[in-house]
Amino acid sequence: MTRQMKLGAFLWATGHHIAAWRHPKAHVTAGIDIDHYIRLARTAEAAKFDMVFCEDAAGLREANVGIASQTSRSIGFEPISLLSALAVRTSRIGLVSTASTSYNEPYGLARTFLSLDQLSGGRAGWNLVTSASPIEAANFGATGLKPHADRYERAREFAEVVTGLWQGGSFHGHDGQSFSVRDPLDLPRSPQGAPVMVQAGASDVGRDLAARTADVVFTAAQTFEEAKAFYHDLKGRMAAYGREPDDIKIMPGVAPVVAATEAEAQEKHEELQELIPDDVGVALLSSYLSISDLWRYPIDGPMPELPETEGMKSRQALVVEQSRRDGLSIRQLARHFAGARGHWRIVGTPAQVADELQARFEGGGADGFNIMPSYFPGELDAFCDLVVPELQRRGLFRREYHGSTLREHLGLKQPA
Amino acid sequence: MLRLAPTDEQTTMHLAVSLNIASGQPLAFSDLASFAKQAEAAGLDMIILDDSAPDSAGSKSPFEATTLLAALATVTSRIGLVAAASTVAHQPYNLARRFASLDIISHGRAGWHATMAQAPRDAANFSRPDGFSAADFRRRSEEYIGIVQGLWHGWDADALLFDKAGGRFHDPDKMHLLDHKGAFFSVRGPLNVARSPQDTPVLVLSGLSEADLDIAARTADVILLDEVKDAKASHDDLKRRVAACGRDPDAVKLLQNVGADIAADTLEASFRSQSCDGFNIAILPSAIDGFVGQVLPDLQRRGLVRQDGTTLRSHLGLAGGDR
Repeated sequence: MTRQMKLGAFLWATGHHIAAWRHPKAHVTAGIDIDHYIRLARTAEAAKFDMVFCEDAAGLREANVGIASQTSRSIGFEPISLLSALAVRTSRIGLVSTASTSYNEPYGLARTFLSLDQLSGGRAGWNLVTSASPIEAANFGATGLKPHADRYERAREFAEVVTGLWQGGSFHGHDGQSFSVRDPLDLPRSPQGAPVMVQAGASDVGRDLAARTADVVFTAAQTFEEAKAFYHDLKGRMAAYGREPDDIKIMPGVAPVVAATEAEAQEKHEELQELIPDDVGVALLSSYLSISDLWRYPIDGPMPELPETEGMKSRQALVVEQSRRDGLSIRQLARHFAGARGHWRIVGTPAQVADELQARFEGGGADGFNIMPSYFPGELDAFCDLVVPELQRRGLFRREYHGSTLREHLGLKQPA
Repeated sequence: MLRLAPTDEQTTMHLAVSLNIASGQPLAFSDLASFAKQAEAAGLDMIILDDSAPDSAGSKSPFEATTLLAALATVTSRIGLVAAASTVAHQPYNLARRFASLDIISHGRAGWHATMAQAPRDAANFSRPDGFSAADFRRRSEEYIGIVQGLWHGWDADALLFDKAGGRFHDPDKMHLLDHKGAFFSVRGPLNVARSPQDTPVLVLSGLSEADLDIAARTADVILLDEVKDAKASHDDLKRRVAACGRDPDAVKLLQNVGADIAADTLEASFRSQSCDGFNIAILPSAIDGFVGQVLPDLQRRGLVRQDGTTLRSHLGLAGGDR
């Protein structure tokens, strides 16, 4: 059978665009409306997506309350309860949630995800993340952030315990650096062997952890070159852990803006960009560039000369350089960043979007994609109605589900 | 003197059923859903889902209680759904967030069942091999409950503006930090889940020893009481403690734990003598059919069960936002 791409529907608040909630067609009460999420999951299931995916943070996303109050991201459902509700209102689609190893215990997390797996008949997945946000840390009595290596050492041990617990009766306890667990889980073995393990770490230790334990990896690669380099690097690390390259599916995030004509797609994109409040855009740009006083400069003027600082990495310096070359104002640059959030964006017709996805999929940059619609439900509907049929016509995506578990959809081995 | 004369409200007994999913035969989700629908049709206030077996052997259920609650919430529309969750197994921020979310998923029908009794199995599996001393566990539980209830009040009911044109999603003045710093936890808040349609999830407490009674009187919405010799005296004592905390005695409902084999006559007599506000009937999965087929219809015939409103607080006759 020809290789087909995997698709995830990344459900997030009112949409992935920072100003999504202000769009006239965005469902503004998404964060308190379970029926909205049931509808989204069913839409993605009807389009034969492999999974829906939820991000997670144990705290607010933005410390500045004035900025936060102009976005829809301060409130929403806790994802495990959300996916448990969706589990019994869908029948085929995978259900994947993020959960942090920094503020959970492996026994509880393994048990909760296994319960989601039981409720869904083998469709659950866990996206392992470590938490770096000081806002989250303040909700868990931490006095300071743990260094990166510590966080990953804890994550490695955490993943090892969870994987062991999911193996059922063969678990004989764990007594380690961060965790001690006496008993095997008191739930039956997963219908798919074990819930699917997802990771998104891009750092060197993050990649090693993924190469060792992940079934799926999400990435944020903007350019084809970046995507290929990451793909090649990660798959290359797997042999050291006795795994085959195909044991991990690499799924970069992509934010498509699709319409029947290119002009319409461009117009749709501009419409959203216009809705970004200036101070929100400037705040996001400031934090991306690590410049605290950007708001002092005229917003329609050029970017100021910036001193070389610790936080100012080479890639960011290039961005400022380019904005100056293109004559972009602070406002224009801010909108550019706030809108895309560092993710790969494709604006175009169904055929153009499919072309781009196909090129990365066939050119060694991806096994599939995590689709990040700009606002809900409209842009998920647009992708399902316009792009999915095009991908199916090209034989790049399934027309029907063949299995019943998430592992089967993804073509993953069942763990021993 | 505490006024306990019968009123119109008190002629309705509050009825919970604790479905002991942790013990006995494991049930499939479809069986659980069908039971929840039958209990809802019969007018019960709430179903309480336990999460671990009392003998520390672990649960027999294929489902963890909070995830099961979320699933049951989508196939029912009126009945209250309460899940047990351990204060050792969860961080307070995570637990508060899970239940706040369940409360929105269920449109205001969720409750948290916390027990003041320490489960040895939890400590052993949650990196606390030595457990807690009884005194520490009590102090920690009290602090924990205060944090959870505080976090549930982090967003005012009218905080969300959804003002697309004005670019104001919420009113920043109606979001409140908790800034808790205590002996066991420090939690800044706020929760990243909106205020619940019933104000806050219902707090159900059980496993109380003498030293826990005042904590329960201060914080609980519902207290589950084991059968004692003089139920009336124990009821009056607790209501007096509630009043002493400056709360309306009726703001805490006392439910007596009873077995499924109890006759409707006995329940009615006990209720009429004002020794409780209602009952929590513990049943094993294998006893579901008998309970639904016999006990419930008998109670309904007597006009003793009734659901008011659509939220769990309204079923229980509890006001929201009066804390």
